[in-house]
This record gives sequence, C-alpha cells and structure tokens, in this order.
Amino acid sequence: MLTALILTPMVGAVVVALVPARRRELHLPLGIGLSMITLTLAGYLFWAFDPVAGYQFAEDLAWYRPWGIGWRLGVDGISMPMVVLTALLIPISLGASTTITRRVKEFVALTLLLEAGMIGAFLATDLFLFFVFFEAVLIPMYFIIGIWGSERRVYAAFKFFIYTAFGSALMLAGIIALALIHNAQAGAPSFDLADLMRLDISAGTERWLFAGFALAFAVKVPLFPLHTWLPDAHTEAPTAGSILLAGVLLKLGTYGLIRFNLGLFPQASVDSVWIMGTLAVVGIIYGAVVAIVQPDLKRLVAYSSVSHLGFVVLGTFALTSGSLQGAVIQNVNHGLTTGALFLLVGMIYDRRHTKQISELDGLQKVMPRLSGFFLFMVFASIGLPGLNGFIGEFLVLIGSYATLAPLAVLAALGVILAAIYLLWAYQRVFTGLPRSEENRVLSDLSIRELALLAPLAALVVVIGLYPGLLLDRIAPSTESTLDRIEASTGFTVSYPGRLEDVLVVGR
Amino acid sequence: MTTPEVSWLAILPELLLALGAGVVLLVDVEWKPPAWVLGGAAGLAIFLATGVTVVQWIEVADVVRADLAADLVVFSGLIVMDGFAVFGRLALLAVTAMGLVSGWRLIESTGRRGAEAIALVLLATAGFSLMVSSNNLVMLFLGLEVGSIALYVLAGLTRERAGSDEAAMKYFLLGSFASAIFVYGVALLYAGTGELEIIAIREFFSRVVVANPAVLMVGLGLIIVGLGFKVSAAPFHAWAPDVYQGAPAGLVGYLAGVAKVAGFAAMARIFLTGVVELEASWVPVMGGIAALSMLLGSVVALVQSDVKRMLAYSGVAHAGFIMTGVVGAVSDGVLFYVAVYALQLVGAFAVVSAVSGPAVTASELSDYKGLAAKSPGLAAGFSVLLLGMAGMPLTAGFVAKFGVFSGAWDRGQHWLVIIAVLASVIALAFYLRIIVTMYMEDAEGAETAVPVPVRWVVLLAVAATIGWGIFPGFLLDLASDALAL
Repeated sequence: MLTALILTPMVGAVVVALVPARRRELHLPLGIGLSMITLTLAGYLFWAFDPVAGYQFAEDLAWYRPWGIGWRLGVDGISMPMVVLTALLIPISLGASTTITRRVKEFVALTLLLEAGMIGAFLATDLFLFFVFFEAVLIPMYFIIGIWGSERRVYAAFKFFIYTAFGSALMLAGIIALALIHNAQAGAPSFDLADLMRLDISAGTERWLFAGFALAFAVKVPLFPLHTWLPDAHTEAPTAGSILLAGVLLKLGTYGLIRFNLGLFPQASVDSVWIMGTLAVVGIIYGAVVAIVQPDLKRLVAYSSVSHLGFVVLGTFALTSGSLQGAVIQNVNHGLTTGALFLLVGMIYDRRHTKQISELDGLQKVMPRLSGFFLFMVFASIGLPGLNGFIGEFLVLIGSYATLAPLAVLAALGVILAAIYLLWAYQRVFTGLPRSEENRVLSDLSIRELALLAPLAALVVVIGLYPGLLLDRIAPSTESTLDRIEASTGFTVSYPGRLEDVLVVGR
Repeated sequence: MTTPEVSWLAILPELLLALGAGVVLLVDVEWKPPAWVLGGAAGLAIFLATGVTVVQWIEVADVVRADLAADLVVFSGLIVMDGFAVFGRLALLAVTAMGLVSGWRLIESTGRRGAEAIALVLLATAGFSLMVSSNNLVMLFLGLEVGSIALYVLAGLTRERAGSDEAAMKYFLLGSFASAIFVYGVALLYAGTGELEIIAIREFFSRVVVANPAVLMVGLGLIIVGLGFKVSAAPFHAWAPDVYQGAPAGLVGYLAGVAKVAGFAAMARIFLTGVVELEASWVPVMGGIAALSMLLGSVVALVQSDVKRMLAYSGVAHAGFIMTGVVGAVSDGVLFYVAVYALQLVGAFAVVSAVSGPAVTASELSDYKGLAAKSPGLAAGFSVLLLGMAGMPLTAGFVAKFGVFSGAWDRGQHWLVIIAVLASVIALAFYLRIIVTMYMEDAEGAETAVPVPVRWVVLLAVAATIGWGIFPGFLLDLASDALAL
C-alpha cells in the first residue's frame, strides 16, 4: 500500500517520459491523470487510517542487511496528513502549469518524481531511506526552479540546492553516528527508527546529534536566520514549483523536527525549547515585518511562509499536547492556504505578467471571483475563526503559553502583523478602481482555475469547521510522542488546549 | 637453491594481457591490418583475462572456505591471489574495456600509432593488475612502474599537439620522481623491519615493538608521498590538472581510472595489512592529507573554467574521500568507492571526448552550453554521472561515500567525517555548475554528434551508477568478501 504510493508517481514519471516529446498536448493531462491515481490511494489511506493504531501499513524489506538499512515504511497521525496533502497538491500544481510551453514532458516527469520523493520522505521509517528521499527531492526541485523559473532562476536554484545540501550534510554524519551507536549497543548497525528510538545515548552526544538534525531541518523550514534561500527560490520558481515548495517541501523540515528531533533526542529537545522557540518567534516577527515592505506580491507570500512556519516550530518545541497538535495541523493549513495564495498570484501573473504590487490595482472590479478567492485565503491565512488557520494558530498559542509564555505573547503579535501585511496587500492590489489600461482588461477565473481552487477552499472550510476530522487522527500520535518524552526525561507535559477542553469536537 | 613454485593461475590474467600487447604490436608490424583487427585482439585478451579472474575468484572462495588461506600466497611470497587482488583486477579490467571503447575514435584516428596505443593500454593494465596482487613491495614497485611508464607515453599520444606533449613530459618527470620517493620509502621500511613482504611485515609488527621507529616513520612518510602522488592527493596533486587537460580526452578517463584503482588498492594493502599495527602514527598523517585533499580539491574545482581541470580537481577531492576510508580501515569501502568512481570517471571523460572531440586537449565549460537541447541523452547521462560523483542518494556515489564515512566515524575520526560531508557539499556546487551550463543556458553551435562507442560507455557507467545506487548489495558483498590476507 505505502510502496504503491511511492511507486505510482515514479512509474508515472517513466510513462510520461516515454510519450514522445512532439505529442506535447498529451503530457500534462497524462500527468494529472496519473497523479490522480496516487491521490485516490492517498484518499484510501486517509479513510482506512486507524487513529489509535500508531504506525500502520508498515512494510519492512531488507535492503542491505550488513548495514542494517531497509525499505521500511510506516504511517502515523503525523505523517498521514502530509502524505494526503502532497498527493492533493500535485494534480493542482500540474493543472496550474498550462502556461509552461517549453519541455513540458520533462516538467511533468520531474513533478511526478518530486511527488515520489516527498511521499517517500514522509513514509520512511528507516533513517537511511529517509535521507535518500530527503536529498533526492532536491534534484527535481532544482531543475524545476532552474529551467522553468523566471529571470534569476539559475541563481535561485543554485542557492536553494546548496543551502539545503549544506544543512543535510551534518545530518548525514548524525545518521551514521546513530547507526554506529546502535552497533555498539546491540551488535549490529541499524537505521530502523524504532530501533534507534530505544538507544541509550549520552547527554553530550545527544546534544550534538540533535544539533546536526536540527540544522538540516531548520534550513528546510526555514528557520531564521537560515531562511535567505527561500524568498529567492519562491520568487523565481514557476507557480507549480512555488506551490510545492511552500505546500510540501518546507514541511519536510517541520515534519523532521517533530519526527526525528523530538522522537530520537527527547532530552536535548527538552533542553532546547527556549532556543528553538526563540528562533521560531524571531522568524514569526521578522518574516511578518519584512513581508509588510515587499514590493513583489509573490515575495510577500514567501515571507509570510517564514512567519507562518515559525508557528509550527514554536508549537513543536512548546512540547504541550495542544501546541504539538496545532503544529501538525498548521502544517496542513499552511500547505492549503499558502499553496492557494501562490496559485492565485500565479494566475494574476499569467494575465498581467507582473507581480509588482505597485503596478496592480483595482483588480476586484475586473476579476471578482479571483479577488474573492484571494480574500478568502487571506482570511484563512490570518486565522479568521471558522477557517482552518484559526484552529492551528489557536492551538499553538494556547499550548505554548503554558511553557513558553513570553514567546507565546510575542508570537501573538505575528497574528496581528499577518493581518496587516496581507490585508494591506489585498487593499493595494484589489480594491479601488483600476487606473491603468492593462488592469482594466483582465479576464476572471476560468472553469479550469475554479476547479483548481475549489478543493483547497473547501478543505479550508471543512478543517475550520470540523477540525476533529484531522485532529482525531493526529492526536494519538502526538500524544505518544509526548508520552515518550515524558517517560525518558522526567519533563512534565502540560495539557492546556487539550481538545476536549477548548473545542467541541464532534465524535 | 630451490626453484620457486609456480602458480600459473595467479598471474594468468597479466600474462594474457601482456601477450595481447605483444601480438598487437607484432601483427601490426607484419601485416598492417585494419584497426578493428587489433582492437578485436585486445578485446579478446581483456575478455579472457576477465574470465580467468572470475575463475580465480571461485578458487579463492574455495581455498578460503577450506581454511587454507596461506596457499594463496604464491611465487615464494611475491604474489598473493586473494579476494582483494581479484576485486581490484576486475575493476581494472572493466575500466580498461570501457576506456578502450571510449577512446576508440582517437585510436583509429592516430593511424599507425593506434597499435602502439592499444598495446600500451594492455601493458599498463597488466602492470597495475600485478600491482594489486603484489605481496612483495619490490614486486609492487615493478607493477607500478610498468603501468606508469605506459601511461606516460599514452598521455603524449597526440604528441603533435603542444598540450599533449607537455602533459606527457610533466607526468613523466613528476611521476618518476614520485616513484623514486616511493622506492626510497620501501627501502627504509626494509631497513627497519628486514622484510619486503607485506604479510611478513604485519607479522613483524605483531611480534616486535619498535622502540625508536624514526627510520620506519620516514619510510612510511615517503611511501605515503609516493602513492599520494599516484592517486593525486593534495598536496601532491599539482600534475593532475595539467595532465588531465593536456592528454587526449579519449584516453584521460582510462589513464586516471586505472591509476586510481591500483594506487588505492596498493595503499589499502600496505597500510591496512602491512603496517596496520603502526596506525597510531600514520593515521594522523593520512587523515590530514585526506582533509586537505577534500577541501582543496573541492574549493579549487569551483573556480575552474575547463571541465577536464574541474574533473582533475574533483579527483583530488575524491582521493581525499577514499583516503578517509583508508583511515577508517574499511578496505571493502575503499574498493567499492574506487571501483565506482573509476567507472564514473571513464564515463565522464567519454562525454568530454564526445563534446570536445577525442584528441582535443582543452574542454571549455562554455562548450557545454545548452547541451541538453543539442543532445539530451548525453546531457542526461553526464548529469547522472556528475550527481553520482557528488554522492547524491540513489547513486552508487552515495553508497560509496556512506561506506567510507561510516568507517571513519566508527574509528572515532569525527572531525574528518564532518570535514568530508562539508567538502561533499562544496563539491556539489561545481558539479551543479556543469549541469546548469548544460540545462539552463542557451545552446550555441551545431548539434553534438555522439559516437556509438561513447554512447555505450556512458550508458554502462550510468547503469552502474544508478544500479549500484539502488541495489548496492551485490557489489558490496563482493567487496566485503574481497578481504586482503
């Protein structure tokens, strides 16, 4: 089942590659069709997922036994939403790529490979396998930015690749070290996450390993001050690239922090809550302030990612029941809303060929439907109650107030700042009357574009009104992560923001 | 005096190769046949030598299973037919076959000199093959010289080009100098131990604790310098960029590949078998050279504008990575790495020879602009090879790096591993630079025609890179069975 989730896009990429390049009209529909198969499988996964069963659908095949590496897959409440989100965003990004006319075949094949890599990284329960997928994701993304991006694409692609590769280099050393510690304690090296979680690591070593892993994921998230690759990569990437970068790729970082840093190094995690929390909050405020002054709409959304993902990291390291659930659900929310915002910016760009806020005005009059969606996503992004962003930010803030109160207060500022930069941007771009001739003749959303946006908007509402749909599935896994930390460190996890207390969840 | 016992099987591959070289030369003088006849003869020699090596492999496995490992040391201790030698020889033969195929256009175009080139390639391989199976340091030196001298001449094959001439001269002068240093080191090691046989040296050190090892230390230092030169480790690498750039593109891959395989096999055998007891004294030196090679090679490669020079500096970095494995005492990791790297190198230079022409010496990065549009297959193949050299996951390069890094980490060389992973990222930057040029810049000039032999070599190298990247088990098992006695 899980193998099929990884293999279908991989096989799909080969199938697309086999279709001759001159039949260019076939590639995109074929790619969308193939990614729908994966989406169907992911939908089945969501449906068949048993919230209380922990890791499930597990697979374990030896890869190279003497090294203890294996094709080990499994899914729990932390990774399942990410897999579904990935499978959902791929057809949407492909559907948004009709403006790509050069080397369509390569583009579709690379996007499908990217999907395989991302899903693989979320499903891997073997550190070697995880690292393979984590790194393998870089290659298709590098080409997607570098070949189909805008003017400074080569620079942006290069910066993206080198930053992330530098981050993960030290994680590789950390993974090797863990396997060898297992070798010393159990007589054979192992990369199995379950084996490694049982290791008895000395405090000093644990701190170093934590740092190695945290660096890799912090670059990916990106956490201040390692974020500088992100605005460039986002701005230069084609629309599909931006959606996937924001929607899924960055989540590899936040997911990694939860899965590996909290999972493998409980003591070091407890010791570093203030450091990580502070970096997260600096990112929240910094990203928001910088977003306010961006002249480029796409860059603005990119900086808003820095800010929003700060909430996820804060929620992760506040180590409370509510905040961790908030972090996981905020991962999904950010993927939906920011993905949609990039999609909308891309649609504006396709029509008007500019992303400069100063050149756009009064679009509300000519494109009421696009403007409506934009405003809707802005509201979701700033956390309007009833929409999904509210749930995540609320859980994170209320949870982190218990352990990191000053940081939670500062983070709340981020919510206000988000309202400022997003609404101000909306005001400048959409309200008023279009002054220039170019802005007066733009066409509104087509059926195709509506079809791309509708599922995202629907999910924003569904999660906003009925968060239990996701939280019921997430909570058992986050609870067991926290239980482990509690058991192995003596740190007491507090439970403000426990679901039952703050929300009426339909069961 | 007794006659030394003769074990033909142990040296049959070398005999076949040398015989092939002789036949090629004589037939050429006598009948002046078309080039393909000579190539066929060389191919036959390589094929038979490979077959014999496979037989050796089975024999070795049988003997080891029967616990008669001492029987594998033959010719009164000159030659050892162990798994290590057999694996190294297989790698050498693979590189030779691919090197001849990818250099075929060059060999054909040099007319009468083509026969000499074929004969020299066979002789060089015979020499290096002898080197990987030597148990005696003088024997090892002889193999090294047979191989090296043939390579000096091959570097100057297109001698009417000034670059090629210069490369050959430089390679010859510095190479002989390094050989002299190496043999001096061997002499000092002999002075200190009274032994020339590597296994006997190991036994000597397990018996005797040398109180004042100054002579030995100098000897080992000189051996490191000599071998360091042959594998182009920093700071003994200065010849490599000039030679790689100057020598004809069609043969550089072969030249570099065999020298690396043999050099590292010898290094692993001497240091991990012979003087393994002295590791406290040589590990810091070797680790320092490894770190310097990785950093210097990666950083200097960043600023090169010639692809051949870039690959030369990347070779310096790779020498550092492989020496990390020697420091980590993982001889199987070293073998796996060097085998994979040599195949990728031959493939990469096959691409260079297709893009810039087989005889040409310079290969400007700008020649690669828009190669993806001009010949997509070649560009894709080159990209896979470059990513493999960079050690991206799903390529054999990653598995190889992983093997040597984990070995070194296990031996407590944490800093060396951290330097190594960081150097890998720096190295990634210049591999990407080539990929950027191929894929993200607009094409200039006409379509690049890819000769069929080059196509096959690149395809094979790519298949090995990806195949062993995803299913490394087979080759890793072979390498880990290939223990030195």
